[in-house]
Amino acid sequence: MPTFKLNGQEIPFEPGDTIIRAAWRQGIEIPHYCWHPGLSIAANCRMCLVHVTSGRQMAMPVLRWDEKKKEYVPDTKPKLVPACQTGAQADMEVDSVGPEVQQAQAHVQEFLLLNHPVDCPICDQAGECKLQDYYEEHQHTLKRKRTEPVHKPKGVRFGPTIVYDAERCIMCTRCIRVCDELVGDHVLDMRERGNRNEIVLAPGRELDHRYTLMTEHVCPVGALTSRDFRFKARVWFLKTVDGICTGCATGCNSHVDFDPRYGKVYRLRPRDNEQVNGFWMCDDGMMTYQEAHEHRVVTAVDGRGEDAEKLLQEEATEELAARLKGLDAGSLAVVLSAHHASEDNFVLAEVAKALGVKHVYLAAREAEDIGWEGDDILRHADPNPNRAGATAVAEALLGEAPGDLEDLVGDVLAGQVKSVLALGAIGGEKEGSLDALKNLADVIVLTANEGPLPSVASLTVPVASWAEMFGTFRNAKGLDQHFVRAIPSPEGIEPAWKTLVAAAQELGLEGIAYARTGEVRTAMNDAAAPAAGDEAQASAPA
Amino acid sequence: MDISGHILAALLKILFIIAVVVGAFAPMLVWAERRQSAMIQDRVGPRRAHIPLPRGVVGLFRASLKPMEAGVFLSFFAAGLAILTLVLMGLFGIETVAGQDAETFYLAVIGFGIAGVLLRLGHKLHKGIVDSGGKLALLGLLHPAADAVKMIFKEDFTPPKADKFLFSIAPIITVIPAIISFAVIPFADTLYLEYWDQVVPRDGEIIATAVPMQVASLNVGILFIFAAAGTGVIGAAVGGYASDNKFSLMGGIRAASQMVSYEVALGLTIVPCFMIYDSLRLEDMAAWQHEHGWWGFFIPPLTIASILYLFAAIAETKRIPFDVPEGESELVGGYLTEYSGMKFGMFFTGEFIEVVVLAALAVVLFFGGWDVPFLYRSGFDLPGTWELTVPMTEWVITDQFLLQHWAVLLIQVLFFLFKVVVLMWLQLMIRWTLPRFRYDQLMQLCWKGLLPLSLINILVTGILVLLWT
Amino acid sequence: MAAGVKVLERKKRTLAEASYVPEIAKGLGKTMGRFFKNTFGPEEKKEIATVCYPEEKREYPPRFRGIHRLTQRADGSPRCVACLCCSTACPAQCIHIEPAEYEPDDPRYGYERYPAKFIIDELRCIFCGYCVEACPCDAIRMDTGMHMPPSTERGHFLYGKEVLLNLPGRDGTYLSGNPRHEPGDPTHPGVTREQGH
Repeated sequence: MPTFKLNGQEIPFEPGDTIIRAAWRQGIEIPHYCWHPGLSIAANCRMCLVHVTSGRQMAMPVLRWDEKKKEYVPDTKPKLVPACQTGAQADMEVDSVGPEVQQAQAHVQEFLLLNHPVDCPICDQAGECKLQDYYEEHQHTLKRKRTEPVHKPKGVRFGPTIVYDAERCIMCTRCIRVCDELVGDHVLDMRERGNRNEIVLAPGRELDHRYTLMTEHVCPVGALTSRDFRFKARVWFLKTVDGICTGCATGCNSHVDFDPRYGKVYRLRPRDNEQVNGFWMCDDGMMTYQEAHEHRVVTAVDGRGEDAEKLLQEEATEELAARLKGLDAGSLAVVLSAHHASEDNFVLAEVAKALGVKHVYLAAREAEDIGWEGDDILRHADPNPNRAGATAVAEALLGEAPGDLEDLVGDVLAGQVKSVLALGAIGGEKEGSLDALKNLADVIVLTANEGPLPSVASLTVPVASWAEMFGTFRNAKGLDQHFVRAIPSPEGIEPAWKTLVAAAQELGLEGIAYARTGEVRTAMNDAAAPAAGDEAQASAPA
Repeated sequence: MDISGHILAALLKILFIIAVVVGAFAPMLVWAERRQSAMIQDRVGPRRAHIPLPRGVVGLFRASLKPMEAGVFLSFFAAGLAILTLVLMGLFGIETVAGQDAETFYLAVIGFGIAGVLLRLGHKLHKGIVDSGGKLALLGLLHPAADAVKMIFKEDFTPPKADKFLFSIAPIITVIPAIISFAVIPFADTLYLEYWDQVVPRDGEIIATAVPMQVASLNVGILFIFAAAGTGVIGAAVGGYASDNKFSLMGGIRAASQMVSYEVALGLTIVPCFMIYDSLRLEDMAAWQHEHGWWGFFIPPLTIASILYLFAAIAETKRIPFDVPEGESELVGGYLTEYSGMKFGMFFTGEFIEVVVLAALAVVLFFGGWDVPFLYRSGFDLPGTWELTVPMTEWVITDQFLLQHWAVLLIQVLFFLFKVVVLMWLQLMIRWTLPRFRYDQLMQLCWKGLLPLSLINILVTGILVLLWT
Repeated sequence: MAAGVKVLERKKRTLAEASYVPEIAKGLGKTMGRFFKNTFGPEEKKEIATVCYPEEKREYPPRFRGIHRLTQRADGSPRCVACLCCSTACPAQCIHIEPAEYEPDDPRYGYERYPAKFIIDELRCIFCGYCVEACPCDAIRMDTGMHMPPSTERGHFLYGKEVLLNLPGRDGTYLSGNPRHEPGDPTHPGVTREQGH
């Protein structure tokens, strides 16, 4: 692989790479605003100017202020090039930290901040704003402009998800390029010139495609803000763990941003993973963080309708075991969930196997029932994050692919199934599709959220949501991806696999005794060993 | 006088003693100790306890301010006017003004003067009450009362493993002997019942029913006081032992050893008194000083004896700088650690009563007891022989000023109490001046300091007495 | 003997000192002098350092940090823009703010936000003044010169927005001393480009 020298360090590059991309691959950041690894090159912010010291040097005549003579004197300075647009060449020598470069960066910064309102206190970007970071790193001078800054529209609603602030905008056009290149919908453009420049919507349009939040994600400053996250939290209070989007079978990698003080998840951000989602996520996926808090089930409920009785969490586990003990394994149906982690499904399948259950089904959302549409960008046609994982677990342990919920309803109506042990909230979103289960005396559902399945349950046991546990999702490509616990569960609530392990021990089932996620994973991998060939651990680039 | 008369007299005297000592001196000492020490240490001290006056009363006080100011002005103006008139009368030899002679104007000066001063004081009092918003605090004098109320109603806590009986009886053992000591202290000259409203002849035997102004006239006198005070040791020691607390026990032991040691020194320091006064009876000692016209303090050996006595006395009361039995910095609270409520209050009161007893004893031994300079049982006899006539009147003032018997006794009692107060105050000041001794220093002072010194003092006194007689 | 150590002669005590008596008398003089000066002396010579607190109060130094207040704009709205800088700076984590946005027809829309809730737990507060230092808008101040009124209810110490807005400064004003250049201000040129430069 050819290399060039950046600040004396050998940087390998592939033919066609620009300087900035080659450096980015090596984890070296050259300051930039408009360049994004997933977008085309605009080279309009001029922040990434570097000095190519090899080859023929071009000098620019300039007037330099002479402090002794108190006047401008003619001088020259080297011509700098934008690192984002200059192709890397073998044996090139590039300087990105020299005094000329630093001066250029400081001046670019000063220009960008010339008309900036400096309303950081009310700006949501504060704390993760490139303007703030680069001011600290590269400028550190006071504002010299004494006149009123140019005022431009603020708080413009671009659509249901995005608010635009023209005064903060540095016109890097990243948002325009996201719409053009990622979505193919030229809904944003620029108008006017110079300091009156601003981003506008296409006439008669709103910013309402499926990837609008990516415009906010790429915005290096606070010009575009998400209406969902706006004013909710300060980013410096948030901690981040790695998550996996539960929106569809693509399994986009995400950062889960949560406030450890309140145990609350505030937003998701795409986590770069070229194998899965590149740099992006869709709006629906970005909103899946709400599952961690909205429509949560936090209390165990025994009975249906008016006879329903709330149980304490420890009572719920006992009740679960007691109910299972009294059930006939031959007519018991076990329902795995395409929305729960493989660990949960694995332990449930193990319980089913130990009990000798014959009827196994898989609860999954059907795209048409919830109005889900896939596309060619990221959205998979299957809106379930772990159908592959749950199916694989069932096949490995029970030797057969589980039926779907329609099969379950059919078997219930046929009288073969007289009781149900189900996992998860999803499945059966079509109105009335699960009515047959309402007549069964024992429909036990372990769930984190409210949904169609819990609504027909005669015993609801709350379990941890994905944000409250460690787990694995297998996406449509068969890639197992781990996610990390972000927040603590409400008092007493455990992941479904732990609840099931407790119940299994109460029942005296042998071999089901796990205390940690790692043990479940090991057992799961052992069980799936024959099929391990197509399994690959996903690892996100830093 | 028959037996019932004696009993009645004794009861009255006991009542008087208890009223003065427990009712007046102990609270005053508490007040002085708290409030005055605060002033010494640049604090305002506790003076928050007060009686809130009803708004109407405060309104009356407020309304009275202006008239009282006017009254003060008018009184002093009238007195001044009377003085002016007197001066003019003297200058120009006028006999009468407006039909009144000089005597009337003299009376007017005195009357208006007293009225003015009283009004001025009243005005100050009223103004203070009005300024504080109707809080009658009496300079903080109510604070000891509030303290007492608090102590009485506080939980009477006994440590679970303490000896209940001994724990409860220890404060009583401390208080009772302290009060009993007063039985032999004379607070005035002998009362001759038949002469109570007459002037007693100055010299000669008096044939009348004599009532000694002390509860019990014992021939062992001062030894009785030592015996009683010695019992106080038991209280502290028993209290410390019964508390079931090592700090208390340590404090009790220290108290016992300290008090026993200083008892010896205390006894020896005042032996010269017996030698010079030639009696153990306290009333005889007071009478000796009265007759000779010399207070013991001004007789050289007794001067030294009085200073030594003061040291030993303060040590005997276990007060700063000799309060090692309490020693907060080492022993938490010493033998008082486990005491609270009124039991603690009794220890506390007992300590103050001991202060009063030792002050009273010092007064009797060294400061003439009830003796008032130039006051004899017939009345005042100022030095010299002279007469003064008030100008323009027939009023004559001489060096002799005869008083009825009751008045003489009253003056003696008041002056005795005054002397006691001064000595108590001195003890308080010492308490707030000196830092605490270390325990070994304390014992050294006793056995190596006070004891040899008082022995030498006895020797010297003996020689002097021999030479003198 | 190590270098730098100076050996001092131990002073011999004189007989007067050794006998304690004159020294004690001196000490007594000191104590009594102090007592008489503070009790009966002229008012200006007294050196009483304490006061009877609730009746008499000392004047606090000008930079005394009392309970907080939120300054108001001229129209009575809070100057606070709910930036959470104070709650970030707060070492006791006693400030809870929930920001909210002005309605789109409000002249401040887009320029400002405001605190929907602003709660200070004055019990938890350590009165360090960092919140005042951190505030970019001079919206929070500790110049009330007041203590917390005591209470037996924990909830009474949770000071909400309305309470904090209605506490005056020591000079009696509810405003801040540092007016900002903001929309609605006559010096402010306007909000949008259409309104002219």
